[in-house]
Amino acid sequence: MNLNYDKATIELPQSWRAKAPIILSAGLILLVVGLGCAFLSPAKGGDNSQGFRYLTHSYLANFVYVFSFTLGALFFILMQFLTRAGWSTSIRRLAEILMMMIPYLAILFVPIIVMLFWGSSALYEWNAKPSEMPNSVIASKAAFFLTAKFFTIRTVAYFTFWILAASWFFRLSRQQDESGDIELSLIRQKWSAPLIMIFALSVSFAAFDWLMSIDADWYSTIFGVYLFSGSMMGFFALMIIISMLLQNAGKVQKLITVEHYHDMGKFTFGFVMFWSYIAFSQLVLIWYANIPEETYWYKVRLEGNWAPFSYGLIAVHFIIPFLYLMSRHVRRNRTALAVGAAWVLFAHWYDMTFLVMPNAGSLEFFPMFGHLLGGIGMLCIFAAMFIQRASGVPLVAMRDPRLPEALSYANPIL
Amino acid sequence: MSEHKPRKSIEKKMPKAFGWMAEYQDEHGLLAAARKVRDSGYTKTDAFTPFPVHGIDEALGIKPTVLPFIVLCAGFTGLGTALLMQWWMNGVDYPYIISGKPFGITPASIPVTFELTVLFSAFTSFLGMIALNKLPKFSNPVFTNPRFDRATNDRFFLYVEATDKYYNRESVKELLGGTQPDSLDEVLEDTTPSALPQPIILGVLLIVVAGLIPAMIILNMRAGFSTAPRFHLFFDMDFQPKKKAQQTTTIFADGRIMRPQVKGTIARGQLEEQDPFYLGYDPSKMTMLEESASGVMFVSTQTPTASQDGKTDGQQPAAAPEAPKLPWIDTLPIEANEDNMKFGKLKFDTYCSACHGYAGFGDGLVHKRADSLAQGYWLPPTSMHIDRVRNQPVGQIFNTITKGQGKMASYASSLSPKERWSIVLYIRALQRSRNANMDDVPVEMRSSLNDLATQVKTNPEATK
Amino acid sequence: MATITKNFNPREIDNTEDIPGRRAPLITGNQSYASITDIVCRVAEDPQPMLWYILFGFSSMTAVSFLGLIGYLILTGVGIWGNMNPVFWAWPIVNFVFWVGIAHAGTLISAILFLFRQNWRTSINRASEAMTIFAVVCAGIYPGIHVGRAWLAFWLLPYPSLNLWMWPQFRSPLLWDVFAVGTYASVSLVFWYMGMIPDLATYRDRSKSPLRRMIYGILCLGWTGSARHWLRYEKAYTLLAAFAAPLVLSVHTVVSFDFAVSQVAGWHTTIFPPYFVAGAIFSGFAMVVTLMVPARAIYKLENLITLRHLENMNKIILATGSLVGLAYATEFFMAWYSQNQYEYFTFFNRAFGPYYWAYWTMWTCNVISPQLFWFKKIRTSTFWMVVVCIFVNVGMWFERFVITVTSLSRDFLPSSWGYFRPTLFDGLMFFGSFGVFLTLFLLFCRFLPTIAMSEVKGILSLTSHSEHGHDGSHGH
Repeated sequence: MNLNYDKATIELPQSWRAKAPIILSAGLILLVVGLGCAFLSPAKGGDNSQGFRYLTHSYLANFVYVFSFTLGALFFILMQFLTRAGWSTSIRRLAEILMMMIPYLAILFVPIIVMLFWGSSALYEWNAKPSEMPNSVIASKAAFFLTAKFFTIRTVAYFTFWILAASWFFRLSRQQDESGDIELSLIRQKWSAPLIMIFALSVSFAAFDWLMSIDADWYSTIFGVYLFSGSMMGFFALMIIISMLLQNAGKVQKLITVEHYHDMGKFTFGFVMFWSYIAFSQLVLIWYANIPEETYWYKVRLEGNWAPFSYGLIAVHFIIPFLYLMSRHVRRNRTALAVGAAWVLFAHWYDMTFLVMPNAGSLEFFPMFGHLLGGIGMLCIFAAMFIQRASGVPLVAMRDPRLPEALSYANPIL
Repeated sequence: MSEHKPRKSIEKKMPKAFGWMAEYQDEHGLLAAARKVRDSGYTKTDAFTPFPVHGIDEALGIKPTVLPFIVLCAGFTGLGTALLMQWWMNGVDYPYIISGKPFGITPASIPVTFELTVLFSAFTSFLGMIALNKLPKFSNPVFTNPRFDRATNDRFFLYVEATDKYYNRESVKELLGGTQPDSLDEVLEDTTPSALPQPIILGVLLIVVAGLIPAMIILNMRAGFSTAPRFHLFFDMDFQPKKKAQQTTTIFADGRIMRPQVKGTIARGQLEEQDPFYLGYDPSKMTMLEESASGVMFVSTQTPTASQDGKTDGQQPAAAPEAPKLPWIDTLPIEANEDNMKFGKLKFDTYCSACHGYAGFGDGLVHKRADSLAQGYWLPPTSMHIDRVRNQPVGQIFNTITKGQGKMASYASSLSPKERWSIVLYIRALQRSRNANMDDVPVEMRSSLNDLATQVKTNPEATK
Repeated sequence: MATITKNFNPREIDNTEDIPGRRAPLITGNQSYASITDIVCRVAEDPQPMLWYILFGFSSMTAVSFLGLIGYLILTGVGIWGNMNPVFWAWPIVNFVFWVGIAHAGTLISAILFLFRQNWRTSINRASEAMTIFAVVCAGIYPGIHVGRAWLAFWLLPYPSLNLWMWPQFRSPLLWDVFAVGTYASVSLVFWYMGMIPDLATYRDRSKSPLRRMIYGILCLGWTGSARHWLRYEKAYTLLAAFAAPLVLSVHTVVSFDFAVSQVAGWHTTIFPPYFVAGAIFSGFAMVVTLMVPARAIYKLENLITLRHLENMNKIILATGSLVGLAYATEFFMAWYSQNQYEYFTFFNRAFGPYYWAYWTMWTCNVISPQLFWFKKIRTSTFWMVVVCIFVNVGMWFERFVITVTSLSRDFLPSSWGYFRPTLFDGLMFFGSFGVFLTLFLLFCRFLPTIAMSEVKGILSLTSHSEHGHDGSHGH
């Protein structure tokens, strides 16, 4: 298992590290400007409370957008060990770096918690004072479950679990870089099963808490799965783009082969379909049963000036990526695949916007422009964090016993 | 086929040769030989293996198949078929409302669309594969070699066809011989008789004929006529031990299966046909079935009898039919207390005032609107204060609400009898209020009323 | 059963554990291509063991009496069942969903595991596909006879009828079911048959009697194993797998729509589609394990269907069982979270109402019993895995019973509540369907290739001759 390799080829490009502060500051500026645009929306005659609604919703949507990649990474890592996968070994470290960004991103959740304790109900309507509760249903949910305190406790619990699981797996992986001990693989295999179950539970409830409860009346049992499916899709698309950028910079050339792109492309394609399946299931059940307490969530989105945007989701998130990624030739062509992946990243942002923003108010140009700027800013911050996290870490787990398998496999027919 | 020189064979009749076939123990030998044959320029080659050997397409120079494109087309055909079918069948040809769902293509069309897309694609994959492979093909020269039985077991065969343009019997033999095959044989024409054995033909024919019999029977039954009685599969459903209305019987002396009502009883559900409370008249006082009374049951809502009120000048059209003569009751079956009065006002305001107006002058909002449109055919609602209505017995007013009159529809389904009687009570009060004199006013209120009267005389504007 | 395993092959190596970097062999006993052919073909070529005849006699009698019961039902009416007002959907629908669920494992193993390059599927996919088709047959019977006038069941199809002059109602989930189950049955049949073509050719070439040779020759369409044929065949197989994978999901999704598009509390919940699919996979794998463990012992297939295969299936059972448990819990939480009194009542009533025994049976069998598979000892013991899988099958039947009956028996109006009691015919007709299932399965073992020989050989070629072990992400 002694592979001869040049250490420099599996490290982050120097030029990237130099750019990190610039990217970070650009991201912060964009985020602030974007939020400012949302807040100072002239649409409602300078009504600050409306502007604040746009601001908070935009922040949440963009935060969940970038955060979902790291959740996808954590799930991917757990799944690879659970299934004893060999093919993914050479791209696994990239996913590990992504999952190790959860602690960084946790900081970005702090403003939301602060806002809750500050007493604002602009984002989470259940946080209103008891006398100002919108209705009795929300009031009874807010009695003990949807309270600022309990919400914070749950959020801290989710983050604690994710951070512990991610850093433990990462530490073992780094230890294996030194020792090459197969025991380290075995122990991760062993623990991936229970962890993945807790993960499923935590993601489901995090989706209920963070996203579903912004509309505290509404409920859909599938909501956690919905968020999960979109996150996995976004994660694989991001992996494709990161791999391509690294290879363009002259790194990990022979370690990530066309077969890996093909597989990541297949997974992106698969999760595009899975997302569509889940989204359709949710829609058709609510549409068909036609119960007012459920349908109004879609009414907000499918009527009024959000309607074109929401119908656009079908094309953006399903038809276009589905038709594009269906071809084997696209999936085996790095550039073509990266174009598809970039589109999928956009589609995921579109989806997060669809989930969150209609709750803030009607579709206006200025807040949406701010929201888009904020999204780009958030991505830049994410990129800077990635560079920071990846610095000094080999980009491939070179001494993983399954690495040779990853380098030699070939995709069959499809 | 290249020219085939007669050889020094001892056989008299030489079967046609199709090419050479070499046998190998494993896939590596086969692959090596295949590459060698390909590099020598042969294209009419084939390999026979027990499982798909990785890399054989490259080693033999086989081009990728067009199957995926055929399948893609089939998938779109399925998609289109499903959408068109659902749109046409449920949206155009036979539209009907189910739980308020729209016609045509809705989210509810997606499952069937998906299934048909998959159905078409999957069957095309399979049938396309069969067709492109030119299967089924039961007679194949390669089967003549008894060793070939192991091609589906554990041996690998390489075949160079004689139709190849570079084919030369000896050189191909030499080439294949140089790849260390386990055996090397010439593929010869199948000389066994090609005709199917008689019993098999007979058996197949029999099966086909037997299979057609049920279809023929059904066709005959659908197309033909029969005078024979129907075959009763479910005897106990077709012949149930019961009697239907209007049938005869021997059980009762009068031979009728339908029994008359027992004297002095009211059948279930018939109370409303007996009690003045539900009718507005007392059926027990009807000594005989009058001509006009028989009409009241159904005529009143169907003929425009309410047209008599004509214009607001109160002139009665000459053709107004007389109200049916029924023993209307004169006294209210409910108590004339304040609760009932308030209740009646509530119901009157809800149900009646839209046309008749809050004060009963026939000047409700509907009337005003219709009047302003001035379409010419609007018949104003009856005022409660004309003499004809004032002189009607309460029972008749009740009957009008119950059955409707002219344009006015029946309110029996919206208002319970109690509610209707309360409305009658309230109408009576309205009528009284418009025709009251000073004696009707309580003594202590008369003075204030006088004040009001003088005020009106001096300053008519103030009353508004 | 464990003893039989040991007697047959005392040197059976434990291939359930593999060292990272070196894949443990998928099939044991130093197999060659010829020996694989031998092992599989012997199943059909050797005289069947006595047990086969006993089982066949028993199951075919059950199947025949089931057909008799169906005749009696048609002549008498559905009143012989316990279906009542308000539980109109009772055992027949429960049985239908139960069998459709079981039918999911086969195509899942063939299609989804194929797409995920799980090579261990090759030893078990054929039998599971067969099981799928037989389970669909059993499933299809129930809605067919539940419609009352079973001889008019073809009215479900959109055909230009001169009698009715009307079309089916495409907005009804029950019609989606017709399309979904119909498509699933036919595509599974094609998938199964197509997979068998090369193996039928092997059967043909090994046949001694001309009749046998001719029948298998016709069935395999004159397959020669030509490289060009293989190429198109593999392409078609991959495409079929790619279609069958979403199809599998769609079938139980549509079955879940039957319930979930309604407004009945406890039925209308958006997690139903994936939750039903997970449950279907769960029950399907349990049935595969229940059938495979005895079959491999009877036909001495331990070298091809190794402990590793069974363990992997048990792991999937554990995973899907836990998913199902998660769905139960989510439903319960959401019943509270929705603050909808009907939802809340329904779930409370399931757990503590008159059907509490069914509910807790479901929990015990479906969620708790598979947790035993956390222990490797149990996961790899043929006896215990069959025990757990039988529990799972029982539990999954009860799950459908709980969903169907408890929600209907106590709906929105207390005045229309009722308590469903099955009749003798309900029980007999459920039991009878097992007769049909087993009869078909035994005939399959007797006459058709039970293991996909060509695929096993393909994997053997890949693993024994490549330097770096297996390809792909197999193992589970």
